[in-house]
Amino acid sequence: MSRPPSKARFALLGAALVAIAARGAQDKPGAPAPQTAAEQAKPAATKPATYVGSETCQTCHEDIFKAFLKNPHHLVETDKKYGHTTQACEACHGPGSQHADSMNAADIRQPAKLTAAAADRICLSCHLSQPTHVGRINGSHAKNQVSCVGCHAIHKNGPDGLVARKPADINRQCAACHTDIWASFMRPYRHKLPEGAMSCVDCHNPHGSVLPHGLQTVDANEPGCFKCHGDKRGPFSYEHAPVRMEGCTACHQPHGSANPRMLTRAQVGFLCLECHANLSQPALSANGTMGTVPPSFHDMRLPRFQNCTICHQKVHGSYVDRNLLK
Amino acid sequence: MRFLLALLLIVPALAQTTPPTPPQDQPPASAAPAAAAAPAQPAAPAAEAQTATATSAQASADNPAPGAGEDFHGSIDFGYRWLTGVNGSMDEYRSVVNLGQGPKLFGLEFTLRDPKTHLFDEMDVRAYGWGGDPYSTAHADIRKKRTYDFSFDYRNIAYFNAVPSFANPGAPGGFDEQSFDIRRRALSAGLDLFPGGHFIPYLDFDHNAGSGRGIETWVQDSNNEYAVPTLLSDSTENYRGGVHIEYTRFHLTLEEGGTTYKDNDQASDATLLTGDNTEPIFGQTLSLSGLQQAYGIRGHSIYSKVLFTSHLAPWFDVYGQFLYSEPKTDIHFSEIAAGNFLDISTLLFYSSLSTMGTGTDNQPHTTGNLGFEARPFRRLRVIESWMTDRYHDAAAPEIVTALASGTFASASGLLATSLNATGGLTQYVNYNQEQIDALYDVTNRITLHGGWRYVWGDAQTLSGTIGETGPPATGQLKRNSGIGGLTYRALDKLTINLDFEGASSDDIYFRTSLNDYKKGRARARYQVAKALSLQANFQVLNNQNPAQGVNYSFQSRDNALSILWTPDSAKRISLMGEYDRSTVSSNIDYLTLPFLSSAVSEYRDNAHTATTAINLALPRIKDGKLTLGGSMFVSSGSAPSRFYEPLARVSIPVHKHVSWNAEWQYYGFGQSFYLYDGFRTNAFITGLRVTQ
Repeated sequence: MSRPPSKARFALLGAALVAIAARGAQDKPGAPAPQTAAEQAKPAATKPATYVGSETCQTCHEDIFKAFLKNPHHLVETDKKYGHTTQACEACHGPGSQHADSMNAADIRQPAKLTAAAADRICLSCHLSQPTHVGRINGSHAKNQVSCVGCHAIHKNGPDGLVARKPADINRQCAACHTDIWASFMRPYRHKLPEGAMSCVDCHNPHGSVLPHGLQTVDANEPGCFKCHGDKRGPFSYEHAPVRMEGCTACHQPHGSANPRMLTRAQVGFLCLECHANLSQPALSANGTMGTVPPSFHDMRLPRFQNCTICHQKVHGSYVDRNLLK
Repeated sequence: MRFLLALLLIVPALAQTTPPTPPQDQPPASAAPAAAAAPAQPAAPAAEAQTATATSAQASADNPAPGAGEDFHGSIDFGYRWLTGVNGSMDEYRSVVNLGQGPKLFGLEFTLRDPKTHLFDEMDVRAYGWGGDPYSTAHADIRKKRTYDFSFDYRNIAYFNAVPSFANPGAPGGFDEQSFDIRRRALSAGLDLFPGGHFIPYLDFDHNAGSGRGIETWVQDSNNEYAVPTLLSDSTENYRGGVHIEYTRFHLTLEEGGTTYKDNDQASDATLLTGDNTEPIFGQTLSLSGLQQAYGIRGHSIYSKVLFTSHLAPWFDVYGQFLYSEPKTDIHFSEIAAGNFLDISTLLFYSSLSTMGTGTDNQPHTTGNLGFEARPFRRLRVIESWMTDRYHDAAAPEIVTALASGTFASASGLLATSLNATGGLTQYVNYNQEQIDALYDVTNRITLHGGWRYVWGDAQTLSGTIGETGPPATGQLKRNSGIGGLTYRALDKLTINLDFEGASSDDIYFRTSLNDYKKGRARARYQVAKALSLQANFQVLNNQNPAQGVNYSFQSRDNALSILWTPDSAKRISLMGEYDRSTVSSNIDYLTLPFLSSAVSEYRDNAHTATTAINLALPRIKDGKLTLGGSMFVSSGSAPSRFYEPLARVSIPVHKHVSWNAEWQYYGFGQSFYLYDGFRTNAFITGLRVTQ
């Protein structure tokens, strides 16, 4: 498949913009969100719910209320900035007068039972305005209907509560869905997550990132790997192409591997030669890939040539040697 | 492509046909588009109820949430670890496990609340693995509402690696090159201040340093290489500060940061080494009798970042980021070597060599991204994102090498000098990506999504070509990907997620890059009963590059099944089990050396992984608990391996706040091709856990 003609790309973008404009014409900014089928089914004569205040909620939900006192969201109860002073419960659950009257769970909004996108919009009415969520739009969680409440238990405190903070708790929470990834950490060569020395969020931002796989960024938007492996960052006089162009995963399996140094191949020689197999540069191979075959003095039958990094030890980049020897 | 275009046009049209939405209850005064209540949907997965490892299960069970009236609560876990002795390769054991014996502080956790909130409202402190363990960590969060939020994190990680088969896959015992025994220490501290409602200034500091010893090689052209001891030392400091400006409808962050870096690696040797090539050349044996090599690398960088998010309208969010940095590296390198060396181009033997290197690398780095999420209709979301990332590296190293027949001290017998200056050549990597996704809620239970991604770029680097003076290597990247998927909440207790991505590339950088690939993933979660849940994952990636001389065919599969059973709220028994079956199959043509004959590189990995944890309440012992479980990994293929980590743990309360813990864990590792890499050992722990 080739790059589509620019007209088609404009058509795509145009379709999106037309749809947005159409929506904009229908809904004025600030208009209430559309209703769901359940609400539509309510009798038209039902009196709109009004705010009753958190103290009313406390009457029945005392356990939640007490825990909430020490929850970071309690700020909503007291801080005018959020516009819900004394109404923290209803900031997320919506006006509660009908529910208070009927004591029926169906009469109040339950974010945990909304669609993921709808639940997220409640949280993001405040939290979108925070740097953590800049990459959220690109986040695979957001695109795969994993809502905020899938990981954050809003009412709870402590372990596994609002925010899992201990590495073991974070890893357990992520592994609950990513069981296949967690299995990789049972391999012998691995980052030390099962030992609790690291957590998933050391490398991934579950809220989203501008890098693939929700990879964390450090400093000047560089891959999060460099936070610990600063000596691989450079800039180098002689960059090794795949480090910059495809990142660490071009050669490493960061979650775990059966191969030493978490490499993607059992022997370094094969790992290198699978790329370094083009006959000449810059007259590239038929499909334009980089990586030339080594000079023929590299007699692969001899042990001293079977691990390329024995000599080409600065394989992540060199300051002084174009062949990455020193 | 046509399908995607049609999808994007049809989906909005369908959305138009939805009946007009009747008025809704009043939204909160300042709230954004509050989504209305929907018919009963499956509750979000109770992730907190899941148990992934025995360790974490223990940690969770032993750390109840603090009560509302407690000002201090915490625990300390300490004891002693014995090892029965490591049978097999001690180097491999240290490379994989590296636990030692002796008195240990396994864990310390406490939360302190100041009821008067003088200095802080709450302080959380936790530390694990102290007392010589390879992974020592400490973390503190201290916060005071509306005043500050401070976090501190410290990690001291032992990084030992000396895998015999890695250095030399062809010889038992292997060479001893490429090993190291270092400590990496990482410290992070961050302070957010809350002087007002909307402006949040912040300061952050990161320090990361590695130091220790290792064995590297000193390479004398293509003739020989010598294993020499080296001292490794590098450190990176990052300072950054800025301000978050937060309002209900928009957020802006302005940040200025800087990085310093230094690398002081040194290698030296004064013994006579014959190197890996012991064959005489022209009747002479090559040797290294003395070496002094030192790196003095200094780097610094200042960057500026602007980042914003905006909730422009109830149906429209936009975000963007721009960052510019210009890291620079100053290079100072020197080495003096003595021995019997050969210059293969002139067939001259010489006895000493001196190399001096200086230079500067300047790498402007610009990155920016922009995106929006639009909800033009109730059921439809359109997400567009674009990003660019551009590194341009102007490197100007100058390397002067002198060969002499005598010693440099006497300055006699100078044979040759060479200057290799590559200034003026540039390296660059430009990466660009554009992606558009559309998500459509067909019903409250079904969400479809589809999209398209285009990535393109170009690059040039100096390494990768033969010789010091060849032209740079260049490459291009152009790839189109189609994306689709489905989320189906079939029942209140069942969720199914399907994702597919297929791509075709016009240009790729490397023979093994993603070219024409298909990636699929299926995930299902079923809450069979309140106490029993099942989850299944399936993932497949197929990548093909049929170009002549490449013939790359790659396929990986991963199937995982997990079960969690917690009857009676896990008071008497709970069971967690996971099984994963993964396969990797890769074939690619390459050229073998020295005759450049064509061959196929085959890599296979067929792995079984299992993890389990069974928690049992001990009869007649209140709160006594027995945990049995652990993990196993067995693989066949190119690197057939076995790694077993079974464990048993017992916890018996001996006092209201004190429990006695004992644990046994076995570590067994073996490789079929490299038997000398195997090891096995038993670790026993006994200790006390005191809670408050």
